[in-house]
Amino acid sequence: MTVAFAELRERADRRWQELNDAAWIRVGGGVSGEAAGCDEVIEAFNSELQSSGTSGTVSRVGMYGICYAEPLVDIKTPGGPRVWYANVTPEQVPELVAQHVKGEQPVIASAFGYEPAGEGQVLQGVTKFEDLPDVAAQTRIASRNFGHIDPQDLLQYIAKGGYAGLEKALDGMAPDQVLEEVKGSGLRGRGGAAFPTGLKWSFLSGNPAKEKYILCNCEEGDPGAFNDKAILESDPHTLLEGLILAGYATNSSKGFIFIRQGHDEPINAARKAVADAYEAGLLGQNILGSEFSYDAEVVLTGDSYVAGEETALMEAIEGKRSQPRFRPPFPAQAGLWGKPSNINNVKSLAYVPQIIARGGEWFKSVGTEKSAGTALVCLSGDINRPGLFEIPMGLTIRQVLDDVGGGAPGGKKIKVLQTGGPLGGVLGEEAFDTEIDFDAMSAAGAILGSGGIIVGNEDVNVVDLTRALIAFNQFESCGKCFPCRLGTTHMLETLDRVCMNKAYEEDFALMDRIGNSMKVGSLCGHGQLGYNPILSAVKFFKDEFDACITEHAGPVGSFADGSMITPNRTRP
Amino acid sequence: MADAIKFTMDGQEIEAQPGQTIIQAAMDAGTYIPYLCYMPKMEPYGACRMCVVETESNGRTMTQASCTTPVMPEMIVRTKTGDIQELRRGIIDLLMTEHPHGCLTCHRIELCGPQDVCLRHVRVTDRCTICPKNERCELKDTVRSMELDLTNPMEYHFRDLPRHVDDPFYDRDYNLCIVCARCVRVCEEVRFDTALTLTSRSGTALVGTSHGTSLLESGCEFCGACIDVCPTGALTERDYKWDKAASTATSICSNCPVGCQVVTEVNQRNKVIRFRGDLAGEANNGQLCFKGKFASDYPNKRGRFRYPLIKLEDEMQRTTWGLALESAAENLKKFSPDQVAVIASPRGTNEDNYVAGKLARVALGTNNVDSALNLNPELTESLLASTGYAAASNPIVELEKSKCVMVIGGNPTEEQNVLAVPVKKAARAGADIVVIDPRETELTRYCKEGLWLRPKPGTEVTLVGGILRAVMDEALEDKEFVNERADGLQEAKQELWNFDLVRVSQITGISEDQIRAAARAYGGADSAAILYGADTVPVEEKGDLALAVANLALVTGNIGRTGGGIFPLFGGANTQGSNDVGANPRFLPGYAAVGGASARDNFSKKWGAQIPAASGLSTKEMVAAMADGTIKAAIVMADGIAPDQPGLEGLQEALEKLDYLVVSDDFPGELSHFADVILPAAAFTEVDGTYTNLERRVQRVRQSMTLNYEERPGWSALAKLGTALGANGFEYESAAEIFAEIASVVPDYAGISYDRLEQGGIQWPCTNAEAPGTAIIHGTPDENFRPKLTPMSIREILDVHDADYPFTLAHGRVLHEPDHPVDVENRDGMNYITRDNYVQIHPDDASSASISAGDMVELRGKADQDGNTVTFVGYAKLDSPYTGLISVTTLFGELASAMQDSDDPDPAPRVRGLPLTSVTLTKVSVPAGVA
Repeated sequence: MTVAFAELRERADRRWQELNDAAWIRVGGGVSGEAAGCDEVIEAFNSELQSSGTSGTVSRVGMYGICYAEPLVDIKTPGGPRVWYANVTPEQVPELVAQHVKGEQPVIASAFGYEPAGEGQVLQGVTKFEDLPDVAAQTRIASRNFGHIDPQDLLQYIAKGGYAGLEKALDGMAPDQVLEEVKGSGLRGRGGAAFPTGLKWSFLSGNPAKEKYILCNCEEGDPGAFNDKAILESDPHTLLEGLILAGYATNSSKGFIFIRQGHDEPINAARKAVADAYEAGLLGQNILGSEFSYDAEVVLTGDSYVAGEETALMEAIEGKRSQPRFRPPFPAQAGLWGKPSNINNVKSLAYVPQIIARGGEWFKSVGTEKSAGTALVCLSGDINRPGLFEIPMGLTIRQVLDDVGGGAPGGKKIKVLQTGGPLGGVLGEEAFDTEIDFDAMSAAGAILGSGGIIVGNEDVNVVDLTRALIAFNQFESCGKCFPCRLGTTHMLETLDRVCMNKAYEEDFALMDRIGNSMKVGSLCGHGQLGYNPILSAVKFFKDEFDACITEHAGPVGSFADGSMITPNRTRP
Repeated sequence: MADAIKFTMDGQEIEAQPGQTIIQAAMDAGTYIPYLCYMPKMEPYGACRMCVVETESNGRTMTQASCTTPVMPEMIVRTKTGDIQELRRGIIDLLMTEHPHGCLTCHRIELCGPQDVCLRHVRVTDRCTICPKNERCELKDTVRSMELDLTNPMEYHFRDLPRHVDDPFYDRDYNLCIVCARCVRVCEEVRFDTALTLTSRSGTALVGTSHGTSLLESGCEFCGACIDVCPTGALTERDYKWDKAASTATSICSNCPVGCQVVTEVNQRNKVIRFRGDLAGEANNGQLCFKGKFASDYPNKRGRFRYPLIKLEDEMQRTTWGLALESAAENLKKFSPDQVAVIASPRGTNEDNYVAGKLARVALGTNNVDSALNLNPELTESLLASTGYAAASNPIVELEKSKCVMVIGGNPTEEQNVLAVPVKKAARAGADIVVIDPRETELTRYCKEGLWLRPKPGTEVTLVGGILRAVMDEALEDKEFVNERADGLQEAKQELWNFDLVRVSQITGISEDQIRAAARAYGGADSAAILYGADTVPVEEKGDLALAVANLALVTGNIGRTGGGIFPLFGGANTQGSNDVGANPRFLPGYAAVGGASARDNFSKKWGAQIPAASGLSTKEMVAAMADGTIKAAIVMADGIAPDQPGLEGLQEALEKLDYLVVSDDFPGELSHFADVILPAAAFTEVDGTYTNLERRVQRVRQSMTLNYEERPGWSALAKLGTALGANGFEYESAAEIFAEIASVVPDYAGISYDRLEQGGIQWPCTNAEAPGTAIIHGTPDENFRPKLTPMSIREILDVHDADYPFTLAHGRVLHEPDHPVDVENRDGMNYITRDNYVQIHPDDASSASISAGDMVELRGKADQDGNTVTFVGYAKLDSPYTGLISVTTLFGELASAMQDSDDPDPAPRVRGLPLTSVTLTKVSVPAGVA
């Protein structure tokens, strides 16, 4: 172990010990926590501790992922079990402080789960946290620290084994070995294309240029996807460590973390993480006393979905209109500022520290053969337990819906899923037995993509849902290439007619023709995939389209109640 | 050159150059691939997707855009498969839903005219027949090539956007735009103006100015490049908007010495309706400027001289060429040779100028012949002693390869516009731009911090000397070049020790640090060019400036180097050529000095007449001699001469004093007012001939309009006059014949012929028919001439100030001042810039005139000959670099509006430059509430 890291590690352990030596109250933050009112709960705890003269630390940790339980609070007293309380309100706080923090007696009635302090410790009437069905189903790698550490505290990350991967790489692995380890892990890019990460890196590492960049993409504009933002909010250092490791493996000079502006919490967390890492010598010249020097910067873009496309992202960083570039040249040849670059999704990089620390073989053992590791699935919509769950690849969709998500509320049937963002597609029940991995999902006509799964119950009208997806795609087209700019517009206009029952049978052929122009002709993935929603919706729910087109069963969705507002970006 | 790449296209083996994209290789091979957003000589963009082809490479078959995909060895390309054609049709179908296309999909497309009643009830706005670009629309050609069905299943929307018709020169109709972004890209990528941008996104994406402002405030330089690249009728020239070309010709612009190759379009009524930059143009690479694009249609204007006129009983009366020439000859003969002068037109071809020089010497017996705008001959002629060539040393386009460009006392963005395009390109690529000029010009905005040097007027030579000294001090010279390839270093060094930087700094007002920074930028660059003009330099300094510039270039090895060189900035489309072919008082054709007896003998033999030995008078000297009565008769070829041009002051009064005046001109004006004989001149679109541009490139001017009256090219008029004067050797029948004679007497032109010029321009020296011409002089060691450094002397500031007008006004002009708000006012349907001007005054000057910041002040210059005074009113700002200098900066948009509104038939030569003027400064009181 390098001297520099040993010293860091020692400080970290001391910090961890301090936190555990007193009562430690961790309140789940992140966007979902904040939306549920975690800040009020934190304030209540602080004032209650002060007024009652109780000692203890209140931390705003990241979100654990079980968003339905936010504000999620866990309390750990020295020697006692760690007990989680779900949906905590400020009104509950005095009781929790009096009984659990001060009295060291968990409030069994309100407890949601517990983790024993030692062997044999049992809390009667409370489920073990790890036995909760949605927790038990998970294998947490990228999200391993979620809800456990304060994302703002570098030392807590290190105390939980953070930067050990980096230390291991710098202290004995050549860049090529790191690259081989990642290649051997079978890690595939989590941005949507599922391209093998190691192979992608090797394009960059083979480039002899002096200045090379690793770009981390946290544009994450897909509705229903929040795992990238969650990583940045809840454990930014795991991403940063992955970014540094990627830089080391490819001999790059700088990393950029690209976040869509307005995502304030991820932005602030990432900025703090970068600043702390510089201060701790984990970024900058001669990292941890090694020969390796590397910089990192957080950059923002404006409101544009397409800015998440890798070349549009580079245009955006350069201060231009974010529209995709043509390829070749590929980013590994000429990317940001014309320098060789490599773009990785947040999730892809977040796995890397564990891959290096525990070895590629270990990572490969998780998940399926072709899709190693886990999937960070964001469940939302008509589901009992919405949230972010890191499940091993290979679970079926149905397992996720039922075991993790707990089915639809009100005993209704789940009818339709929207996966992989608006460029993904919709899935009907026939596809629910599909395994969640890249290849099986695309064979089923959807993509895993960013990992967002929006659940629709039997009341959802798929034609209306499809129209909403196409409207999104249309609105977010950058307007550069003709097939996408015009194709999405006409697709939307045609779907509007379908929704209003003013379409004809021939419109299927028309949409198909437009869709084919977009798929083959478009410059970037936005247009190439933009027809997916219709294609998959028609595959699973042709009858609903027929109801609009041939049976004239009446306008659907927002057209039915007159609430439809035509988006203002169809024509100049 | 690397080996060609072999690949297969549509079953044929084709060779491509490395780096070529598929579409470029296809174009070279004559295979048509439809495209809309691609534009030759611009970066590919890859948006329209019309150029998709099927490629097979390394076992993968893909559909790729041919404009962005480089050719790979062994690649198989299929350009017209069923799938590909279907995809293209799909895109066109989409495009047709937003572009008016009633005629495009109609079988009567070839048959209808604009006035025809449409049997299909297609809306007027949806018809091609009323589109200004009808029949020259790239979209239309592309659609036709696709053989579409007549019906389109998708819904069509006419955008119904308001047309922008209130800016100078252009009409913009975004209802016709297909968002190929060519205009945006040419503006940013080629012209570096970024006046245009893409607006909005997705279905509402469109092009325009940012925030939809007027072009006047967008930073537009009105070069018209966007119009030339627009594939549809969205961007058009307002004048002759709907006219169609009946014929086109490739010619050279007649407004400045850059020598831009243009395509002139002439309609059925023999009017030149349009000027397009020719992509094949070697000097301009397809670019033009506001003058070349929008102010070159003077041949069409009403009121031209159509017949010879002669003064009878104080009235100009129509006569015949025979009588006019006879009378002119008879009268001219009455004067002794030294009483006669010939002033040649700045737009005269080499042929015109050659005949003018020959006429003066052979028929009139005088050396008093000069080109009208050869007002700063020192800029080039003094180089004969230094580089050996009285011309620029390097090609214009290679300026883009310079790592540093120094601009001294010139404003190329306005005066030699297209010359500045590669300079801006170099700046964008990271080159340092050093501007030595008290005025703020467009190029000063490309200077990095500290590299805009604003010396006290008249101290430029000393400053250049100081920079040279700093170059030597910092050992930035190219020792090998200056020792091995050039002479005079030791002598020059001796004098250079006087250029103590402290003293140079005192004299010029430029800090030592800045001098050193400029020296480092210039001397430290791998290749550095200097553009130097005479706009701000006193007349007695101009020759020395040229020599100082040459010294600097020689010491740093920037002569003979790609991206280096020196470029004199003068006026007049063919001033270079007129000097080359001897329309010059000091030189016979080929720079044979009049003072040399052998040269005179040589030409006496060739021309069969004794060449006068007495040196002639330059244009300025002739004007002075006319005024004092020494010269009593003159022939003035007046096309393109603006009498109020700086340097030609007093020309009009001087002409009035003449006893006898022959004028050849297009329009009645100040110069023809006093003529005894007026010869109708043919304009540049009506003649054949050659121009030689600033970079020594001889290029063909081609006749595109027919002469329906009695106008004649200059050479013809002068040759007939020569014959009428009884001289021999003026029996010319064509310009080609004269050019052949030029080639026989000017060694540097010996290898150039009209036949060769058909393939493109040739840069002299070109001494034999096999020689390719010389792009860079001294590119290889020249056996005949070794470049030579000239010792320079430091000089104290010249007091140029008039005691009554104690301040120097440096009037600057830029495209865009982001920090200085602009209002645009619409008057009678046209936009005009209105804004408060700032007058930048040194705080010391301000306090002695009791002026404080924000006060309204008035600047007043000396009254000119007509009693007009230049006045300028604005708000004081206390930030001039030194006392005595006042600067104001106005916007180019104002100039564009003025040119658009000009009622002069030929406004381009009258565009005001930015001379330094002497002014008074007074505070004016403002009525309450106005400020």
